[in-house]
Amino acid sequence: MKKVVNVGIGGRTFVIDEDAYQKLDQYLVRFREKTGLGFETGDIMDDLEQRIAELFTEALGSRGDVVNITIVNKIISQLGMPDGGTMDENFTSAGAASAEANTQPLAKKLFRDPDNKIIGGVCSGFALYLNLDVTLMRIIFILTLFMGGIGFWAYIIFWIIAPAAYTAAQKCEMRGIPVTAENLRKFSTIK
Amino acid sequence: MTDINTDNVKSQMRKGVLEYCILSILNNNDAYASSLIEELKNAKMIVVEGTLYPLLTRQKNQGLLSYRWEESPQGPPRKYYSITDKGKELLAEMDSAWKELVQTIDLIRNNKL
Repeated sequence: MKKVVNVGIGGRTFVIDEDAYQKLDQYLVRFREKTGLGFETGDIMDDLEQRIAELFTEALGSRGDVVNITIVNKIISQLGMPDGGTMDENFTSAGAASAEANTQPLAKKLFRDPDNKIIGGVCSGFALYLNLDVTLMRIIFILTLFMGGIGFWAYIIFWIIAPAAYTAAQKCEMRGIPVTAENLRKFSTIK
Repeated sequence: MTDINTDNVKSQMRKGVLEYCILSILNNNDAYASSLIEELKNAKMIVVEGTLYPLLTRQKNQGLLSYRWEESPQGPPRKYYSITDKGKELLAEMDSAWKELVQTIDLIRNNKL
């Protein structure tokens, strides 16, 4: 005996086993993540759901049966992922890659940030380095001005010794993200 | 290792001409997404269907194709895709680019460049 769920997909209703439902739900979430087109994803997911509904109807025939995990697995492997891979291989590789990225953040470098400066970009550079909000960093800096003026001299010194991040590669290093073509394009001033 | 590489090269090649294929099919006649998929699968152009949907949406947003809703004998209405004038223009350009590419490769392979 199994629990079943009623779902509406692509304008049709289906009765689906609970485990099959969970698998399908996972699949849709991953597909959406992989698509990565932002506002266009809605359209794509609509089309995909329509197709799933069609395939369910095909698989069930006229029996009006319950959709089970076998049908769902078959359909998932038939549909695959937007980049042509399969659900599981995508998941493991994406999972491994993101886990790696999470455990090994790139070392950030301290730069002055000329794109976001008031005086010399020292505060905005520090804010990126320390993962703080720029405004908070500036408030802290102003507070240090009142504490014997250490902040003032520190500012001058960093202004002189810390390089400003002018190139796209430096901007990547400043944020601690890998210097890849994709990331470089984000900061490239030549459009 | 070589197998993985050849597969990869092949799939990259297919990906490159997939948009061309979609427009060509739609240029012959309007089609449901499911019949598009059927045709591309028969031609071994796609392995999994998921690759097609992002492409269709993108081409629609670029104004290369459009769709209308058509009643279907069983179930709710379905999207029926057709190529637009803009799509036809692009297709003509792709046609000549394709011919050129085939010729070039022929020349390279036969060492006549």
